[in-house]
Amino acid sequence: MNNPYQVLGVSENATDEEIKSAYRALAKKYHPDNYTNSPLADVAEQKMKEINEAYDTINQMRQKGKGTGSASNTNSYYGNASGSQFYNVRIYIQRNMINQAEQILDTTPQSNRTAEWHFLKGMCAYKKGFNEQAMNYFTTACNMDPNNSEYRSALNNMNVQRNYNYGGYNQPYGNDMSGSNCTCCDVCTAMMCADCLCSCCR
Amino acid sequence: MFGYLQIQKSELKVCEYDSYKAIYCGLCKQLGKDYSFLTRFILSYDCTFYAMLLMSVSRSCKGFVSKRCICNPLKKCNFALCNSDSYNKAAAFSVISAYYKLKDNIADSRLLKKLFSYISLPFFSHWRKKAVKKRGYIELDNIVSDMLSMQFEDEASDVSTIDTSAHPTALMLAKIFEREAETEIDRRVYYEFGYHIGRWIYLIDAADDLNKDIKNKNYNPFVRANKTDCNYIQSVLSQSLARAYDAYNLMNIIDFKGILDNMFLLGFPAIQNKVISKLKTEVENE
Repeated sequence: MNNPYQVLGVSENATDEEIKSAYRALAKKYHPDNYTNSPLADVAEQKMKEINEAYDTINQMRQKGKGTGSASNTNSYYGNASGSQFYNVRIYIQRNMINQAEQILDTTPQSNRTAEWHFLKGMCAYKKGFNEQAMNYFTTACNMDPNNSEYRSALNNMNVQRNYNYGGYNQPYGNDMSGSNCTCCDVCTAMMCADCLCSCCR
Repeated sequence: MFGYLQIQKSELKVCEYDSYKAIYCGLCKQLGKDYSFLTRFILSYDCTFYAMLLMSVSRSCKGFVSKRCICNPLKKCNFALCNSDSYNKAAAFSVISAYYKLKDNIADSRLLKKLFSYISLPFFSHWRKKAVKKRGYIELDNIVSDMLSMQFEDEASDVSTIDTSAHPTALMLAKIFEREAETEIDRRVYYEFGYHIGRWIYLIDAADDLNKDIKNKNYNPFVRANKTDCNYIQSVLSQSLARAYDAYNLMNIIDFKGILDNMFLLGFPAIQNKVISKLKTEVENE
């Protein structure tokens, strides 16, 4: 196994607090919610496991005996798939075999194109990176079956990404220029005021 | 590529900015060394980003040296040293993509630009051949030329959508980054990363050119899809950036992490904000 300190990106002299916050930052990054439906979900899960192990190891080495209490439960997304008429499609999608999945979906007769069909088409599009197509399919699926939490969460996930909530980006427009509120007029006024003061003191 | 992959300078540490500049200068020097003095002028932020990412994942940056700068011989500059072919790859990619961009310009731009492209084409053709034959970047050349023919096909097709029009550029970068991976897992991460950053670049360029394209009646994916609402365009761009960032987080980045994080969290969003607010004011003025 790799050096647990390296896994968390901290030095061996780091305090417990530093380690905890480094662990938390990474855990937030690799959180399964960020990778819902993503073709990289398994990679993120693996990373999560690694940092959990590293954190536990460090804690044990420092004889704290504290665990992270973390349990990976990412597989629940496909939990209740067995009763579905598109069982095979779900398996293909889960294994990132998108062409095979789409082949089955595209040969499905028009009458069988249920909300689930639209949802799965959306999943295929999403995995390929065709976000707009995925958005359309997910929306249709939700409209056809508004009470289905699986479809709803896929759509919600799309909407979260469409806000790019990282790094304080979600600020109103024009905030990227610091001091942009200072116009030519402001500068002029300031200069005039300063000039007045100067002549006063003379 | 079009120069959207920039840093947010005001938020970088001074030492980080110095390293960034040293990579920029290093790539410039490599372009001069591998090709010609003139190719130094095609140096772009995008290729600097590419070089930096390559150096970061291959951990090949081996310090800095201070030498004279060609452009300003009175000044001494820092150059980042690299012990793998990261610079060569980025230089080859600059030359090859510049050549194809020029060819694309000849196909669909106006008289003056067309003329200029015609005149400079033989030079770029020569450098591209040098990259392919002498330096062996034939695969890179194939990837870029495949992208262009796919793009051309899509623009002519009736079923072109936002997704399909961004696909060629996205796929190009996916393939380019995928080649750097050593394990199967890395390959998937790099592919996803390249795909979404490529999609973002293509679409932000389309958003930037939106009104120009409407005026000149050129092809534009947002116009074709009849979706030119600023908020919609912003959410499309944000989603691509979000997916690229999620993939980026799964890469093993140690060197230049501060600079790369700055780009993803501040630099790219700032550029995106700039493009979108430009669009908004243009809409208001009409």
